[in-house]
Amino acid sequence: MSEYVTIQINDKPIVAKKGDNLLKVARENGFEIPGLCYHPRLSPTGACRLCVVKIAGVQGLVMSCTVQVTDGMNVIAFDEELERNRRHTLAYLLAEHNEEYDATYVDEFKPLIEKYQLLNTKERPIQSFWQNIPRVIDDTSPVLTYDSSKCIRCFRCIKACEELQGKGVLSFADRGIQKYIVAGLANWGDSECDGCGECIQLCPTGAIVEKPNREVIDVNKIQRKVITSCPYCGVGCQIEVWVQDNKIVRINGVEDVSPNYGRLCVKGRFGYQYANHKERLTQPLVRKNGKLVPTTWEEALTIVAQKFAEIKQKYGNKALAGYSSAKCSNEDNYIFQKFIRIAFGNNNVDYCTRLCHASTVAAMIRSLGDGAGSNSIEDFETTDCLIVIGNNIIETHPVTATFIKRGKQKGQKIIVIDPKWTPLVKYADIFLQPRLATDVALLNGMMYVIIKNDLINKSFIEQRIEGGWETFKQLEKVVMKYTPDIVEKITGVPEKLFSEAAIMYATAPTAMIATGMGMSQQTVGTNNVFALLNMCLITGQIGRERCGVNPPRGQNNVQGATDVGASPIMYPGYIPVTNEEIRKKVADIWQVPFEQLDPNPGLTTLEIMDAAHERKVKAMYIMGENPVVTDPNQLHTIEALQNLEFLIVQDIFMTETAAYAHVVLPATSLFEKDGTVVNSDRRVLRLRKAIVSDKNIWPDWKIIVEIANRMSINIGNYNNEEEIWNEIRQVAPIMSGISYERIDKQGIQWPCWHEQHPGTSTLYTEKFNTLTGKAKIYPVEYQEQSEKPSVEFPLVMNSGRILYQYHSATMTRKSEVLNTFANESYVLIHPEDAQKYNISNHAKVKVVSPRGELTTKAIISDEVLPGEVFMPWHFHEAPVNALTRNEKDPISKIAPFKYSVVRIELV
Amino acid sequence: MQNNKNDENNFEILNQFRPERTEILKALHSLQNANPQHYISSDAMKAVAKYFNITLGQVYGIVTYYSMFSTKPRGKYIIRLCKSPVCYMKGSFNLKNYLEEHLQLTASTENISADGLFTIETTECLGHCEQAPAMMVNNTIYSNLTREKIDEILHALKTNNYEL
Repeated sequence: MSEYVTIQINDKPIVAKKGDNLLKVARENGFEIPGLCYHPRLSPTGACRLCVVKIAGVQGLVMSCTVQVTDGMNVIAFDEELERNRRHTLAYLLAEHNEEYDATYVDEFKPLIEKYQLLNTKERPIQSFWQNIPRVIDDTSPVLTYDSSKCIRCFRCIKACEELQGKGVLSFADRGIQKYIVAGLANWGDSECDGCGECIQLCPTGAIVEKPNREVIDVNKIQRKVITSCPYCGVGCQIEVWVQDNKIVRINGVEDVSPNYGRLCVKGRFGYQYANHKERLTQPLVRKNGKLVPTTWEEALTIVAQKFAEIKQKYGNKALAGYSSAKCSNEDNYIFQKFIRIAFGNNNVDYCTRLCHASTVAAMIRSLGDGAGSNSIEDFETTDCLIVIGNNIIETHPVTATFIKRGKQKGQKIIVIDPKWTPLVKYADIFLQPRLATDVALLNGMMYVIIKNDLINKSFIEQRIEGGWETFKQLEKVVMKYTPDIVEKITGVPEKLFSEAAIMYATAPTAMIATGMGMSQQTVGTNNVFALLNMCLITGQIGRERCGVNPPRGQNNVQGATDVGASPIMYPGYIPVTNEEIRKKVADIWQVPFEQLDPNPGLTTLEIMDAAHERKVKAMYIMGENPVVTDPNQLHTIEALQNLEFLIVQDIFMTETAAYAHVVLPATSLFEKDGTVVNSDRRVLRLRKAIVSDKNIWPDWKIIVEIANRMSINIGNYNNEEEIWNEIRQVAPIMSGISYERIDKQGIQWPCWHEQHPGTSTLYTEKFNTLTGKAKIYPVEYQEQSEKPSVEFPLVMNSGRILYQYHSATMTRKSEVLNTFANESYVLIHPEDAQKYNISNHAKVKVVSPRGELTTKAIISDEVLPGEVFMPWHFHEAPVNALTRNEKDPISKIAPFKYSVVRIELV
Repeated sequence: MQNNKNDENNFEILNQFRPERTEILKALHSLQNANPQHYISSDAMKAVAKYFNITLGQVYGIVTYYSMFSTKPRGKYIIRLCKSPVCYMKGSFNLKNYLEEHLQLTASTENISADGLFTIETTECLGHCEQAPAMMVNNTIYSNLTREKIDEILHALKTNNYEL
């Protein structure tokens, strides 16, 4: 409970939280004290001197932004002297300021100039002299321009970069009146700036202005500003979309709303060009005489309905399958899985989560009972110790990473475990760099250290783990084989380092783990996560606030798609398809005969592709996925798609996969959608239509319903997305309490059982979600890979993502800004290997695996270990998945994207 | 990622310091002193950023804040002429013109005489007011300056038989 104090401002009594900022309190209570350097998200600076007030008992004028309220404080915010003082200060600031204005930004100066009657330059007490101050313009950044003549040296940008984003790229150069803002060595474009634009959003006077759309935007002509959720990763940032002439012209972070509190990354702020791109699909296409040609919706839908019905009749239920989409809304995904289950009569619905966190979810459901992150994104800032394992979090979840960097500033301990150097290493206390696919050995080794040092949490083990001490003893038997020398030999990590890390984690008052694709995308992916959970459980670093395990999700709605049932094994709300009672309940809500719902689990993503390859699955419905680029073993995928009798692809662009389709249907992008998504910390967030799509482009759910109607199958008729959501709430109890109205401003985290329930910020604080309410330990052994380096393929390739591109890059490569930052494939190779294979930096090389080959550029870097190479997989012209294999993790069916043997040859 | 020769030299110097923020100024001085052109090169600033785990902008901010640091190459001899009131009253302004004319060089950190020997800068008080006007050449102070004395000093510097 916070303590409250009473203060007086101009004789008005005000109750405020003790320690709150005086300027903030005053403004919240209707006292519009001017100020340019203060921003509620930043620490106070006291640079502009406009917010002066008088405080009884304090000599002179005080800058209110630097004062914390205390009980009985008596403040005068407005009187003649203060206003005269402010007018004079403002005139001083103006004298140093270039007042040219082009209406491409919101200028906080303007209203003050009017208010203090300084419009007439002749009547100003100080005449303009900015022309005599050396003017510095830095136009080298792809996203912004800095002009010192408009800069009031207020510190906001520097603090935005340092305090909010944790990057510290900006600084003042020079001194006195000539000082100006620099990034890098006075060259923004060549600095560490990654283009997040936080400084642009916070600049009060147009000194830092946005570059994209500068020729177009006019702040007086903005039609609407719409708040929706970012279309990229799973952080779920809330964005304010500015629309002019039905085009997106700017995106800002929404101030003071979770989970991002105004912060964005470069993709979220600048990656919107795809929505208005000329290559958008604007009409349905059907294949005639081998070519895709434009057609009407009526013809396209009729063909689809007929073909589905025909194939179902000819080959039976099992011959049809669908890929749902982590890029589509909950409502779209719910309707999609409902369509598959009712119209196809099977459970063959899956999506990219199978290639992403399937192993994490599999392990977490078995061990903890839920397949979602246990904490809130904000907890990344406040936990005492954080392990980030197999997750390049700064590049893949940039805004979650801002919380970590802020935590670091407050003394958080950070342990990074990754075979490849990632930017978070700069912030880390300990960096462990194990060889690829040796995670189980490393984690077992860390548990060895924890047990040897008696750092286990005995009461937690006894009270909250199934089988208690007995189970622990079984685990102990396994991990005690992983003595430090053995672990050091397998992983290459020095004993000293992993011992320190183990002790740091086990002894921290609170500790969290973020796990990523590096752990999950292996043939031993599920075991990796079991090992991680075991370490977490024996130390009791879960089941409390700011403790737990979190898999930050890669796509905006990868969490939601599974939550609402895009899964071959689960109905909406994580209820197994095999559960007869639930099927009865669902059949009732869906108004279909109970017997019509298939009681058997369906095929997973890669199993569907395998079945297509074997011609067992004859027809596929792909919504918003691009498996030709994203599935492993590209040749196999292409052959599978070619073997299909009928393929429909529903997308916003003509993708590499759509090229193999018989029918292509144009769907709305996220910016044209209403609905909801669920982010990484289980927060249900709203999507709102910002731009109006071409009338020939339909919402995904509507297309699905229209297909069902033409098959004479009733999957429900809905007037809008809210009706669909309310049905989801009926089917999935975890969502029951979440209505559109309740999440109008702030999202709510599931489980939320009824409309008065506040949602759940931390999972497992009372019990685990297993049948017994206790967590389970699954001891696992290190297994060697079936694929091993050889004379022919001596290197091991790891794959991953980079900040500036996103997945198969269908969306991001439509953005000039993002392409300016990075638009070229490469392979990272260690200097030793480069020397060994005679490869020079930037040489054109061929990367060959047993499955295929590609051509790319070599970059020599010690970010990777000797014997290992790394490639980003965004670039279709150098398709990394031509090299990967479709061997599967036996439990979760995930593919080993992180481990393929290759050789590198000069071209 | 590959280190060149300059980088090796820079890191050799940096390794003498603990990688803590309080050491940054000392390290910058050492780097500048080790440079025959009395400046902190881009490579050196990049090495500092890496060594102290700070950003380039932060290094640049520090370097440009202090007038004793330069980001541009300077002459072998940096002449710092005092512009404080006492020296000014004793004619330092005229001496500045004289120096500029003599060396065909405008006083500025960015300018080097054609022979690469000289850079003229002005400086705040050198603490030799009783012997004004004064100037400093690299680390040596010269006071009670006259045109003749300046001629003498410059000649000595040019013929390289002057101990500095």
